[in-house]
Amino acid sequence: MARYDSVIDAVGGTPLVGLPRLSPSPAVRLWAKLEDRNPTGSIKDRPALAMVAEAESSGLLRPGCTVIEPTSGNTGISLAMVCRVKGYRLICVMPENTSEERRLLLRAYGAQIISSPAAGGSNAAVALAKQLAADHPDWVMLYQYGNPVNALAHYSTTGPEVLADLPTITHFVAGLGTTGTLMGVGRFLREKVPDIAIVAAEPRYGELVYGLRNLDEGFVPELYDPSVLTSRFSVGPEDAVRRTRELLEVEGIFAGISTGAILHAALGIAAKIVREGGAEARADIAFVVCDGGWKYLSTGVYEAGDDAAAAEGLEGQLWA
Amino acid sequence: MSVSVSVPTILRPVTKGEKTVTAEGSTLSEVITDLDSRYSGLGDRLVKNGALHRFVNIYVNDEDVRFTGGLETAIAAGDEVTILPAVAGGDNSATVAGGAPTSMRD
Repeated sequence: MARYDSVIDAVGGTPLVGLPRLSPSPAVRLWAKLEDRNPTGSIKDRPALAMVAEAESSGLLRPGCTVIEPTSGNTGISLAMVCRVKGYRLICVMPENTSEERRLLLRAYGAQIISSPAAGGSNAAVALAKQLAADHPDWVMLYQYGNPVNALAHYSTTGPEVLADLPTITHFVAGLGTTGTLMGVGRFLREKVPDIAIVAAEPRYGELVYGLRNLDEGFVPELYDPSVLTSRFSVGPEDAVRRTRELLEVEGIFAGISTGAILHAALGIAAKIVREGGAEARADIAFVVCDGGWKYLSTGVYEAGDDAAAAEGLEGQLWA
Repeated sequence: MSVSVSVPTILRPVTKGEKTVTAEGSTLSEVITDLDSRYSGLGDRLVKNGALHRFVNIYVNDEDVRFTGGLETAIAAGDEVTILPAVAGGDNSATVAGGAPTSMRD
């Protein structure tokens, strides 16, 4: 069915498409879950909608409420859409030197932005949002890094969709940020396909992003449960950019840069399966396209001369 | 067996400012012990009570060692070991975490 009562009813139900040219063989296949087909163009529409709906049903969110959330981008944009439709005020806490495109999009949806110090990146945004929520008890912080409903949204929608479209799935690969996608989809698929591999692709940023004053300032999302994962790969900007461009050039899929990191991990797994399994090798590897490339055009990665030059445009950025 | 170890900014005061150091060992644990013998205090920063520090991630050839045997992860000559602090990543956006936003540089 393609008719919905409102835009928020159109969240989810995204296509799963094959990658016939990037898959290493007809029996070792890659499948892309196109989450850019959600209303605001990213996978974050799912947890944003679910967290707001749960806060409403529990009585935490009431008409006229203010919602506050630490975010570097997509979750804020998704929440801004949901809050616009439902009539809530939204405040996003973001690092002060966040790119102008994000701010313009958030403002277009009617969100307010409070800046956190550049030093410390998202860690500082999380800390400031927690402080502001404590100072304003009437504000509601949904807190994507620790809200179980974030993972639950994927457990109850993304996971079942992937399995329904690919009952022969052997591997699921997604990005590791709040960890909500991997925790939710991973738990669902493990229940249904016990020997499935759940693989995390974690972006490895430039040094500025890791500029903590001491190790105890580190941060692990409260949602993270490593027992859900089979393996976890760190992917640097050059590999992420190379794969983002390859996905566009070879398969015609225009994705954001974090998707390139995820594809890099998926292709690494596929190559290993072929190497070790020979003619008998078979696998169905599903991976997540988190968002489209629109918000990253200004980084220049889609038009730079080579992958190294493209990756340079990402230095110092939280590109996933 | 000699391997290269990439050291994050936060630990470089211990490695005399070196960004990449070399170490010997057939397991990650042996590599850390070898490093600690030359860069005193590094071991204590990485390992607490016999396990990796909660906010330290170590990767061998880009794979998180917590999924490959932890401190007992096998190390082969030529492997690349990367140490990073655990930080809050993004949520699929291109936030600039330092310097001017790329979109505003031109």
